Amino acid sequence: MSTVPETPRSKTSFNPSTPTTSRITGSHVQSSPHYTTTRRHSLYGVEDRIIIDPGSLIWKVGFSGEGRPREVFYAGGKAAKGLWGLTRATDGAERQEEDKLLDIRLEQSLRAVFHDSLLTDPKARKVIIVENPLLPLHIKEALARILFGNLQVPSVSFASSHLLSLLAVGRITGLVLDCGNLESVALPIFAARPLFSQLRTTPLAGQRFLSHLRSLLLLFGTYVAPTSPGIANLPQASRSMRVPQEILTNEVLEEIKTRCCFVGESLAPNASEPVDNGPTPDDSVVSSDMDVPPTSDPAQSESEFSFAGRESGVSSQHDSSEYSVISTPRMGGKPQDRPPGSENRLQVLADMYMRHSTATDLQLRVEPPVSMASSSILGYGTIIIPGWIRERTAEVLFEGGDVDEGSLAEIILDALLKVPVDLRKTLASSILIVGGTSMLPGFIPRLHVELLRAISPPPPPPSRQPTKHDKAPPPHYDRYATLRPLIPYLSILNNPSPPAPLSDRAKNNGGKAPAFSPATMAWVGGSLAGALKTGGTEVSREKWDEADPEMEDTDTSMSETPARSRSTQQQTRALQIPPPRNILPDWTRLPLPVGAPSVGLSSTSVKSVSPTALIPTSRARVGA
Amino acid sequence: MVSNVLYHCPCLSASSVPPPPHLESSGYSFHPLHTLFFCEECDAVRCNRCVSVEVSGYYCPNCLFEVPSASVRAEKNRCARNCFMCPNCRNTLSVVPSDPPDAGDGRLSAPISTVGEPPFFLYCNHCRWDSSEVGITFEKPTGLAAQLQKLEDYAPESLEFDRLKEHFEPILRASSLSSSSSVAPSISHSHHHSNPITAAASAALARDIPGVAKYTPHARSGRPSGKDRSANKDEMPEYKSRLDINHASTYGSGGGDVDVELMRRLEDVSEVASLEQRWNYSWSTSLETRDLKPLRIPLHSKRSKRCPACTHILIKPEQKAQSVRYKIKLVAANYLPAITVALPHQIEMLGHISAEAAKRSTKAPVDDDKDTRGGLQAGKTYPFHMSLTNPLYDPIQVRLSVQRMHVAAAVNSGEGGTIDKARRPPFAISIPTTPFSVAPFAEAWEYEDDEEMFGLDDDELEARLSGREKEPKPKSKTVGILEKRANVTVVGGEVALGKEARGEVKFNMLVAYTYRSDDPAPSEGHDISPSKKAALETKTFAFYTVVDLGNIIPKEEARADPYDV
Repeated sequence: MSTVPETPRSKTSFNPSTPTTSRITGSHVQSSPHYTTTRRHSLYGVEDRIIIDPGSLIWKVGFSGEGRPREVFYAGGKAAKGLWGLTRATDGAERQEEDKLLDIRLEQSLRAVFHDSLLTDPKARKVIIVENPLLPLHIKEALARILFGNLQVPSVSFASSHLLSLLAVGRITGLVLDCGNLESVALPIFAARPLFSQLRTTPLAGQRFLSHLRSLLLLFGTYVAPTSPGIANLPQASRSMRVPQEILTNEVLEEIKTRCCFVGESLAPNASEPVDNGPTPDDSVVSSDMDVPPTSDPAQSESEFSFAGRESGVSSQHDSSEYSVISTPRMGGKPQDRPPGSENRLQVLADMYMRHSTATDLQLRVEPPVSMASSSILGYGTIIIPGWIRERTAEVLFEGGDVDEGSLAEIILDALLKVPVDLRKTLASSILIVGGTSMLPGFIPRLHVELLRAISPPPPPPSRQPTKHDKAPPPHYDRYATLRPLIPYLSILNNPSPPAPLSDRAKNNGGKAPAFSPATMAWVGGSLAGALKTGGTEVSREKWDEADPEMEDTDTSMSETPARSRSTQQQTRALQIPPPRNILPDWTRLPLPVGAPSVGLSSTSVKSVSPTALIPTSRARVGA
Repeated sequence: MVSNVLYHCPCLSASSVPPPPHLESSGYSFHPLHTLFFCEECDAVRCNRCVSVEVSGYYCPNCLFEVPSASVRAEKNRCARNCFMCPNCRNTLSVVPSDPPDAGDGRLSAPISTVGEPPFFLYCNHCRWDSSEVGITFEKPTGLAAQLQKLEDYAPESLEFDRLKEHFEPILRASSLSSSSSVAPSISHSHHHSNPITAAASAALARDIPGVAKYTPHARSGRPSGKDRSANKDEMPEYKSRLDINHASTYGSGGGDVDVELMRRLEDVSEVASLEQRWNYSWSTSLETRDLKPLRIPLHSKRSKRCPACTHILIKPEQKAQSVRYKIKLVAANYLPAITVALPHQIEMLGHISAEAAKRSTKAPVDDDKDTRGGLQAGKTYPFHMSLTNPLYDPIQVRLSVQRMHVAAAVNSGEGGTIDKARRPPFAISIPTTPFSVAPFAEAWEYEDDEEMFGLDDDELEARLSGREKEPKPKSKTVGILEKRANVTVVGGEVALGKEARGEVKFNMLVAYTYRSDDPAPSEGHDISPSKKAALETKTFAFYTVVDLGNIIPKEEARADPYDV
């Protein structure tokens, strides 16, 4: 047990104890110089906290005070299946099962953090959880329950990932966009205060990128089957075929994404036809197996078809679930994507991208699927990834126009729109992009260009804008007109290749952030906060145990989920939330501030953050 | 095809009744016997998911050096001697000297092999990576990590990190000072997200800004007084990065134009390092594989495990890294009877196949046959054998009962009654319900039978048994006690598959065993809960298992689906 309590006792504890605060701070003042000198030598020391950045897909863990995480891993295993998604089962029994599985996997991951990655005793280590503001509450609670119950850590604090990312670049004010796996979240922060009511989100993020990549590869990629020893030298052309669906596992897609993909410059407006490429591939892949992939040999198509048909039959039930998760919102919203002409449009789109892309085609070796490996096929198959797919898959993230799924640029601008006018300039000039998906080379510079394009006045002749911003041309709604004066100030702090600055402020800010990688920035900030003995509101184990109605269960370190879930499910969710859970600080639980902001929160944000924001939240803690 | 028995650990649910086996989550409640522990104090099974783990020693898995826990932290849980991993293939790297100068290449004897030529480098025997590619060479072949330590200490991320800390520390200190002057509560009250960072920020706000009069001492969340603030830079002194992303990216990292060009021209995927090879770096690093640095090998730990309820030690390894022994070892295998299950018809079939295979060495057709003949086909009835092995020195009386599960399960899934009926009993299990005994474990038998009985695979064992005994009277006795020998008792059961059955044949089975501890002083460790031993002569312990007999082959298509093992 470290003797020195964490610096200023934060909100949970300040109520009863003003004296405590002063006492603690006194000790802090003494300890901080001491701290800098001894930190390196505190070998047995347990004052270094453990920083866990739990993503739905990838976790980063390590000790505070270090510049990089000790270990990064796929929480759901190498198969790259996320721990949680944007939706939860609605059916009681299903959800119960889902929650149970989530609990089990979280427990597995958390135990692995302490026992395999960090090799440390959890009982002696305080933990900081880097928390996305939209991390569903039930997950947050599960994390806390496991940490306190199964692992018995002394204290857990939750810190906002966006704020921590800002700390990592030496600031406490900025507009942070976290483009992660499930969703992208833009959150303005002023003076270390996250303006949660101005949060904006979109599901255009890593998952969407992957599903788009999958669709494109299914349509335009080529698969070359491994040579079979029997027939000696089958030419490559006759072995190539449409990419079988089951080859494109998340794992393979993830590899393609991280090793092959990048983000090209935005195409000149006149080069791009008015196409909306986002949803179409998703849909048409599922529906149409009938069009010939352009890259495959037409002579070969006969056999491919039979094959492809069988494949899709076999793998559809396991794949379709993913598809439906991803593409349903769009399918629902945009019925006009269904007409049969969509393949044509796709082809047009592909042609256009192909024309404008100079990226090389790549070959990726993959293991042949199990069903095909039946006979004596040896070696690896090959996926040929057209260069334009590598370059243009990311377009899906920049194609906005949907009310529920704004593009990344749009959510940044929307957040700016919501911000009080006098903060806009400050925030617009200190935009920070973090999150794993933004690691794509070229992502940040492109986002800057997209910001400028979205903010620029929509030109009356329909180039790209009309389909993007407003469905109905007549009223010509100029959404970002009020932001246009900010153009010279727009700058992205960690833009590796900032454009020529238009103002001093942009010059001072653009690209001036330390070169931490965007994916780890939140973790680094957490580490920094831990080293500075600050960090989010701390919940101690005593507090947790006190608040826990099922004390005896936590004592025996058994997770009490099943116990709870045995009573009827829906009710428990609603009824049992208060007792153990209120203890966890969360911004959504805070009393609404009086006055203007609260109006903004209750009316505008809830309404206009709209379905997409509310689904992922599923933090419908309101009583659900 | 693989039939097995897993043991239940109740840690995941509050009740001792295990969840129905067809739920995905239930798989996590059952464990192979050899991974379980047994707490004598609590008289309960413990699994690796619930025990609390303590590190009892660190060692490097490569050089087996025991690392004192004092230095583990500083060395970042990695071996600080000469052990490195190849960044490409994670193979262990070896230190090799440079080629000797071309003087007398007749002999490569002692002097060269012990010392070698000075620029040493790390070399991967598997993928031929060598560290001179990334400019890492060593003066001496020992203490390599120490020689690399400098690189690590001056890694850009740690320098930048220290700088950031220096940047924030005075502000935080100021904040804690100001918060001690009773101002803090009011700030905290006023603001909805008040944590120490906020306090820091507010302190920064409260400081006098040169040129700006201090009129609103504590503005609420920057909103009322925000005007001057946004015009005025902001509340923090500006942070100057040591190396900012703009500059860093010109060296080809950080996702700038250089990287984009690299990606655009990429010819071979392997030139770009995979995510796993890069994601540990918090600093913007090069994408390219050829820039990867060797990795120090992560330490392993020896762990002792405690019961989560009573904190008694369940298992404790010996300190030495080389030793594989345990000082304390309360594993469930020493307390619970080991159960294995086998389907005799599969074994016979395997015998046939191997016989056939011996005759004609065509393999492909056999594979198909095996699935149909050895599988469980819907609408048929199959016998199965369970053999129970008693690890105790006392005889035990065992009673088996199948948990009636599937009715409840079907109701659980919340579908209509009609569907319920349709899917309710996919199969029916009958096993002997009367108690039977399993003879005590005795050392003598162990040695006697070791080669011929225990050395064999269990399946083979069963095969021999069935071949030996079942041939004359196959149908008469499928359910009941089939054989007793040494400390093993084999009981037969039967599974009747419904016509429409599909999925897995998996059922929960409660095993209750009673043992008599009449021996006043039995060898310790083999009687359960000594406190009760004195009081009574017999004691019963019950535990759940899940028996998995394999997948059902649906009747329509006699061809087997690929098993997901």
